Amino acid sequence: MSISANSLIEGLVEELEPVRTLKPKSGLAIVGGLTLFALIVVAATLGVRNDLMMGMADEMFFLRSGVLLMLGIATAITVVNMARPGVGKLSRGWIWALITAALFPLTAAIMSAINMPPVEALRPMEGLKCLAVSGIAALTIGGGLTYWLRQGAPTSPERAGWLIGIASGALGAAAYNIHCPFNDIYYIGLWFTIPVVISAVLGRLVVPALIRW
Amino acid sequence: MIAHEETFRQLMIKAQGGDKLCYASLLAECEKWLRRYYARKINPAAIDDLVQETLISVHRKRASYDPERPFLPWLAAIGRYRWIDSLRKIYRHEHDQLYEEMVADPQDEDVTAKVSLERLLGMIPARQAEVISLVKIEGLSIIEAAAKTGQSESLVKVNIHRGLKKMSALIESE
Repeated sequence: MSISANSLIEGLVEELEPVRTLKPKSGLAIVGGLTLFALIVVAATLGVRNDLMMGMADEMFFLRSGVLLMLGIATAITVVNMARPGVGKLSRGWIWALITAALFPLTAAIMSAINMPPVEALRPMEGLKCLAVSGIAALTIGGGLTYWLRQGAPTSPERAGWLIGIASGALGAAAYNIHCPFNDIYYIGLWFTIPVVISAVLGRLVVPALIRW
Repeated sequence: MIAHEETFRQLMIKAQGGDKLCYASLLAECEKWLRRYYARKINPAAIDDLVQETLISVHRKRASYDPERPFLPWLAAIGRYRWIDSLRKIYRHEHDQLYEEMVADPQDEDVTAKVSLERLLGMIPARQAEVISLVKIEGLSIIEAAAKTGQSESLVKVNIHRGLKKMSALIESE
């Protein structure tokens, strides 16, 4: 061993303190807590959709909630596991959740090709509100995930950026989803997809620089 | 002789608990393992720095090791990450002699083969791996690598960039 390596090791040993190992469940608790917080804020400020309040929610609400939560949870689990690296640990399960979620915009695109919906069906004003609220919720959740990952040793910062963006976008949209009263496929295919896409792109652009080590 | 997987794991668990004696042994073993791991995978002049940077990363990121999982795949992921990072920084070095390959401990051969850097180079297109080896590891200039491979200079640069990017996405692949 070289003299410099020897003295480096002595220095590192000197400053050794006991550490608590990173637990993915703490990362998931942060994500779950922030999603719940966003959900409560949406419910308290904008209100819960009427049919849900009456216990008769439309089936599309359940489909949309399920797909968004599935995508958000699958990607968030992948992200928190990225904090603890290891050769052979690459996880691709989230891709299936993403493909499933893509069925909404895909169906909307096919339906539009068959029968172009009027602009009113896309409800631009309500859609922008959906985008803004989902985006704020996504920023909060994405901030928590990024904070969590900074404590770990992610070895693929770019992939982590995409995944944090997708997870926070999907969970942010899921939080807004309890207020959103619209059930048609055009609206969902457009306004619940855009927040996830924007969040993913922002995650890819912003997060890698914050988590490199 | 380099320690076995289980020895590494036990030493790391103690080190995470604050045992300085075990930590000193662990880092000394990691230093030996990394030196062998990086042999012929980077310009010889850069090995000392790379091993030391990796040891510092091991120290800073020791909380990210999961005691219930094997240690060497974790060390290899840290090692690959630092290796690709250093390949990005390196251009030409005055040294052109490669270290002789160090004698491998047969008990560690399986793990080393599984997590090796060759494996990572083998997972990217051959033209990208070739120019990364020539420029980043052997220390040839872009012009020399272009002449040797028949690729244009700009293609050599593009292939290095794409290859490093691809490898960095594959760090945790088998």
